[in-house]
Amino acid sequence: MIVDLLITLVKILFILAITVGFFAPVLTWVERKQSAVMQDRIGANRADILGFTALGLFHAVADALKMFTKEDFIPQGANKVLHTLSPILALIPAIVTFSVVPFGGEYTLFGKKVNLVISDLNVGLLFVFAIASLSTYGYVIAGWSSNNNWSLLGSMRTSSQMISYEVTMGLTIIGVLMVYGTLKLTEIGAAQENFFHWGIFLQPLGFFMFLAASIAENKRIPFDNPEAESELVAGYFTEYSGLKFGMFFMAEFIEMVTIAALVTILFFGGWHFPFVSTAALLSVFEFLGATGANLVAMLFHVGVFFAKVAFFIWFQMTVRWTLPRFRYDQIMKLGWKILLPLSLANVVVTGLVLLAVS
Amino acid sequence: MAYYVDRNVKMTWWERIYLPEILRGMYITSRHFFLNLFGFIPFFLGTSKRRKIFTVYYPEETVKYPAAYRGRPVLAINEQGRPNCVACGLCEAACPAYCIDIVPAENSGKQNEVERWPKEFTIDYAVCIFCGFCEEACPEEAIFMSDNCEISMLDRKDMKYNLQQLSVPIAQLKDRLEFTRKMYGKWNY
Repeated sequence: MIVDLLITLVKILFILAITVGFFAPVLTWVERKQSAVMQDRIGANRADILGFTALGLFHAVADALKMFTKEDFIPQGANKVLHTLSPILALIPAIVTFSVVPFGGEYTLFGKKVNLVISDLNVGLLFVFAIASLSTYGYVIAGWSSNNNWSLLGSMRTSSQMISYEVTMGLTIIGVLMVYGTLKLTEIGAAQENFFHWGIFLQPLGFFMFLAASIAENKRIPFDNPEAESELVAGYFTEYSGLKFGMFFMAEFIEMVTIAALVTILFFGGWHFPFVSTAALLSVFEFLGATGANLVAMLFHVGVFFAKVAFFIWFQMTVRWTLPRFRYDQIMKLGWKILLPLSLANVVVTGLVLLAVS
Repeated sequence: MAYYVDRNVKMTWWERIYLPEILRGMYITSRHFFLNLFGFIPFFLGTSKRRKIFTVYYPEETVKYPAAYRGRPVLAINEQGRPNCVACGLCEAACPAYCIDIVPAENSGKQNEVERWPKEFTIDYAVCIFCGFCEEACPEEAIFMSDNCEISMLDRKDMKYNLQQLSVPIAQLKDRLEFTRKMYGKWNY
């Protein structure tokens, strides 16, 4: 009992460390540096500690310090409670989503089965979507409570965009569910041990639509209408400063990690390396003993999983620095007139193929 | 010059799918990304002096401005160590911002070759608009726009430069001298 609790605690700490502690600050640096490298610039490289710049990595530290020491400003006429509440409402769902995302398979360590997921829910996938939709409240309340027209416009755009694209996202997922026949993310991941059973081969159209819809959910360029800098100062977080702004910022980056993790789990084989099955891995490292082999397999799988996550984060960054922003009507047209019918067709075709195969 | 922007561009079927065009754009940006990423390596190994990037680390290194660049106006000092200026006041008259202030004096024989010399010559850089009219008006090739533009200061009073501060040996202004001769020579003054 105590051991189970400890294992869960370790997993929670690991996820918190990797999302809030590692990805959120490092991604601010990655975003600046990658955009610079893509545009033939050098990028952030001035912040230094004793003359040592570490490729500009200390800018993340400097940003964090700046956010901590900045004035936490609440505009006149704003609803103080909601204004303070909304960044929390935006950040928490982004982190909570990770509780059902597996970052490795099941291993036997010291005679104890360890499943590398915090809570292996039967309705894992639905849980992800339920929680992800909750973050809409954070953004809408942020815009509404700021007592600012730009913020309100931004939050209205957020709500309409998120509602439109959630439909597509949900329908895209149905194709995956039909193929793998389960809602458990661990089982979906485990089902992709064979390279040719990866979601990208079984649901190629689903992958592209899921990626587009999830980038739209995250409100990043090319779908960044809610915070369009050139149209609405900064959208729903115009009136936020200091740590509250930092929380919105962090929520965006953590959601990016979540999207990358979900894409990896659903379409890119989760923690599996192509053509290397868990059994083969265990037999190769058999000389280390059962626990040792399992440990090696675990580290290998976690490494592979986060390598894939890193790749998809890179991919999202590349999209963000390549494409221009859509117009508002284009976003709605893409969502309702193109992606929604396509995702419905995807469900129908998947069903027909499954029927034919069985 | 009016020109017409065709906003109803007819896209081909291939372009209207949008996905291939996205991939094409991403191919271009990621090509830049990887070329630059691995272009850093020779720089760090020391085999290449510069990265293949045009960024200049500004305060530490600067670029050489072209001769046509109009920085702060300076007074030329000729080879004898005397100002070329004869205090005629043409630049003062030409100045649209009234930033030049000249007090002429009679030459006692050692300051200059001609009768007049500028006893005081003040340019207020807080007022100067860097138009270059003074240079254009000068008949003696005495005042030039230098390539120096770093004249920010904390006190406005410090921005008034006197004759000593304005003086620059003519050897340093060679490029600009040739440039002005070429440019203003064309117009047959």
